[in-house]
Parts: sequence; C-alpha cells; structure tokens
Amino acid sequence: MNTEYIVEMRGICKRFGGIHALRDVDLELREGEIMGIVGDNGAGKSTLMKILSGAYLADEGEIYIEGRRTEIQNPQDAFNLGISMIYQDLALFNNLDVMKNIYVGRELTRGPFGIFLNKKSMYKKAENLIRELRVDIQSPKLNVASMSGGQRQMVACARAIAFQSKILIMDEPTAALGVTEANKLLSLIMNLKEMGLSILLITQRIPDVLAIADRVFVLKGGKRQDVLDVSKITLDDVVTMIVKGKNDNEGRKQEMEFQSYG
Amino acid sequence: MSKIILNIVKKYTVMFVLVILMILFSFTSPYFLTIRNLTNIITQNTYFIIVAIGLSFVMIGGGIDLSVGYQMSLVGVATAMLMVVHQLPVWLAVTLGLLLGTILGLLNGLIVSNIKVFPLIATLATSIVFQGISYLVSRAKTFRSYPDEFLFLAKGKILGMSFDVFLTLAIAILVSIVYYETVFGFRLMALGGNEEASRLAGIGIRKMKITIYTLCGFFTAIGTMVMISKANTTNSSFGPGTEFIVLTAAIVGGISFMGGEGNIPALVAGVFILAVLGNGMQLAGWGTYAQFIVRGVILLGAVAFDEYQKMIKTRQKRPESN
Repeated sequence: MNTEYIVEMRGICKRFGGIHALRDVDLELREGEIMGIVGDNGAGKSTLMKILSGAYLADEGEIYIEGRRTEIQNPQDAFNLGISMIYQDLALFNNLDVMKNIYVGRELTRGPFGIFLNKKSMYKKAENLIRELRVDIQSPKLNVASMSGGQRQMVACARAIAFQSKILIMDEPTAALGVTEANKLLSLIMNLKEMGLSILLITQRIPDVLAIADRVFVLKGGKRQDVLDVSKITLDDVVTMIVKGKNDNEGRKQEMEFQSYG
Repeated sequence: MSKIILNIVKKYTVMFVLVILMILFSFTSPYFLTIRNLTNIITQNTYFIIVAIGLSFVMIGGGIDLSVGYQMSLVGVATAMLMVVHQLPVWLAVTLGLLLGTILGLLNGLIVSNIKVFPLIATLATSIVFQGISYLVSRAKTFRSYPDEFLFLAKGKILGMSFDVFLTLAIAILVSIVYYETVFGFRLMALGGNEEASRLAGIGIRKMKITIYTLCGFFTAIGTMVMISKANTTNSSFGPGTEFIVLTAAIVGGISFMGGEGNIPALVAGVFILAVLGNGMQLAGWGTYAQFIVRGVILLGAVAFDEYQKMIKTRQKRPESN
C-alpha cells in the first residue's frame, strides 16, 4: 500500500437492509491535509466516516492506516489507531463538565489497578488543552449543558484531539452554528492542521470546504465520484459534481437505482 | 450574596427539607425530637438505605429495578430456611443468601442488556417471577427464631454503635467513594447521561448494565439480611413494598429518573425524609393509611419536580448559537 497516505480505504461497501449505502468506495487521505467530504443527503458521507471511526462495520473492503492493514471493529479500535470523530450531534454528556466530557472513556488514573481517577491531573491537562486551542471556554469545570453551540463544538474538538489523535473526522461541524462561531471553528480547524492532524471534514457548506480544505472528495448515491484539488476548482464545479456526478449519464443511472431502493 | 445563598439552598435542598420537617413535627408531638425517637428513626431505616444505595447504581445508570421488593422476599425466605430448616451455619446461609441476591440482580441485568426490554417492564416481570418462587419455596410459611450470630446483625454493637448502623455507614461511604473517585463511578454517570455517546466513547455498555443490576441485587440482599435480622422472623410478604419506598426516596434524594445524576448523602436524606414523615405522622395520630396518600403524593411531586428541572435546564441554560 502507498505510504504517502495516512488513511486508505479500499472497496468499502455497506448495506442497510435493502439500501446500498456505499458501493465499492476508495478514499485516500494524505498526512497533514484537510479533505472535505461532500455530497447530497444520503450520499453516504457519514456512513463512510462512521466505518473509519468504528461506529459501523463495513460489509466489504479494507482499511489501511499509515500503510498497515487494520481491522476497526469498534470506536476503541479506531481510538487506538489515532482516529477520533466528532459526530454531528457532538455526542457530549450534558450532565458532566468540560473536563469529564474530554476524558470520559479515556480517564487518567492512579492507585492500585488504575481504579481511581486522577482528577487533579485531568483538570490541569484539560485547562492546558483549552488554552492551547485558544477556545472561548473559561474553565474545565463548566457544565456543557450551559454552553452555546460553538462552545460545545470546541469541547468536542478538545475531546477528539486530547489523546494524540493523528486523524480527526468532523461531521457537519458548522451546521448548527451562526456566522461568527462557524468562522471561529474554521480557524480552529486550521490550527489543528498546523498542529499536524490530518482532517476529514464532512459538510454541506461548500464555501467552508473551499476556504480551508486541500482536496474535496465527492460522493453521490453511495459511490465515489472524484477527488478534486481545491486550488483548481470553483464552487460551481463542486456543486455540479454533487448534483450530476462525474459522468452525468452514470450519475443519473445511479441516482435512479438508489431511489428505487428507498 | 443572595446568589450564593440561593446556590447553597439549591445544592442542599433535600437536607433543608429534612430539617424543616423535623422542626415542624417537633411542634406536633413532644416525643418527636427525643433521642430515643430519633435513634429509632435511624435504626428502623438502615435496610431501606442499603437497598436504596443498591437501586441508585441502576437509576444513575439510566435504568430502573422494580423487583427489589420481591428479591428481598425470595432472598429472605431462602436465607431463613437455610438457617432454621436446614440448620446451616450462619456464615454459609448468609453467603448463599447474598449469592442468590447477586444472581437475581445478574438475571435482571442480562435480561435488560440482552433482550433489550424496557427495564421497567423487564423488572416488573421478574418481580412477579420472584414472588412466585418465594411463595413456592416457603410454602407461605413463616420462619422465626434465628441463631444469635445472625441476630448480631441488627442487635450487636460496634464502638457503641448498632452494627447495622455501622454497616450502613460503611456502605454509604464506600459507594460515595466509588461514585466520585473511581473510573467505574465516572463511567456510570456518563452512561446515565448519554448512552449512545458512552458507546461511542468506547465504554462497554452491556457489561456496565449487567454490573449495575448485579450490584443492585447484591446490596438488596445485604439489606434483606438486616431486615430479617431486625424482625427475627420472615415470610414471603417481607420485602414487597420496599421498592416503592426506596424509589420514592431515591427521587426525593435527587437521583434523576433519566439517569446521570445522584449522590449518596442526598439519597440518605431522601430515605430519612420519608421516615420522618412516617414517624411524625404516626406520633401526630394520622395513622398508616394517611401515610400511603402522603407518600404517593410525594413520589408524584418529586417526579414532576425532576421533569421540571430538566425542562428548565434545557430551555434556559443553553444560550443561542452566535
């Protein structure tokens, strides 16, 4: 396998009952790049990324991380490989504070058999992380239920990158945000890229992708259409690809097939 | 300053309610605030506290166990029969009784996590099964006159303190440490707060659910030992009804029906609020039936208050994006 890529997905297929959500999809992510994942509703963007993050199992296909074939059976496997995903609903715990949201499932421990929490260390590290990310959160002791949508996104980002993640997947991170908070988040994503993370960004907001991504991966009806270099395309090119597919006739055929399953 | 006072009142509402009730009942009866009566209130409620602590594992984890009353019935008659009918040594009878309780809890956990039935329905069904087994095993007989070693559980003293009070205190401290200082307690709060997010965070949901129901069964069995030791007699009707009292106490004590919240001191205060109400009403001559009405109204009020607080939190606390 090509070691130029940090992630390679080959021939990924996924069905949900009679619906073919992904058909023979290949994806390659380079180290340190931001790749936008775009497509219409039901194109298979979230499904493909959930397979990479271990939330879903692929029916067929292979995944290579840093050139090595890997089996991702659950979110813990993905986490162990340095893959973190921020879900559309953020998957946060409203009953817990910022520190606890960052560390749940990956607690720092002390004492015999690692059964006791090292709260002091977790609060300190969470505070440093917030400072490092330059996000607008006053204290790791704040409860996330009392936070704005933008702040909650920041907490989800902090959680995703707190454990030396190499690959970050973000599912529609700006969808529920206003203009100012969305811009703040986009600069945070650029910061994360500078910190060396490779990022897969699912979004319906094409201008966001054109503003910060290096390449755009287009899906339609569960099939890969093309990967476009952002420096060589316009908004219209991406929209046309999303709507019509790479080959108009092929795209139309696939669309009809896909709808017939529904 | 007023905000600080408001926060303190909010944080310790259950304790304040308990103190206010005690003050009120001290006016209705001169016997209420006597050392003897207060000691009675504490010692008569130790087993409720232990069972409520067991139930708190399940409730904080987002579940419910309505079968604790009939678990007590079955564990009670089984332990009593082992001691009285089969003449087993006390340590062995108690160990087998605790093991039986743990297995009943494990059974609930396996049903809830594997068959994925609503915990309310699943444990309602198992409670009927436990009831049937309890009456079949005991043949509706009453067992009495336990060995002295067993009676030590309720009547013995350690450092001048009744043994069951000592045991309850030890359990309350131990479980508080588990909730606030251990990885298990941390994950339990997370599980009750958001089950799907817990799964995505790599927490073994199925294992956690089985564990909390098993722990509930184990602590319920300990509570049963204290209950039958205090009574020095048992039959299959001992235990049922406890589920209602501990559930009410748990909700009054701030353990949310939705899961993810709760602490042991408030839970203990919740048990004592119900106990003080019962005791105070008895001393004031209100009788048992009036107590049923008051307890039912309290349960309804506590659940309504829990729901109201949840609504306020989601509606007011989160500002609009941007």
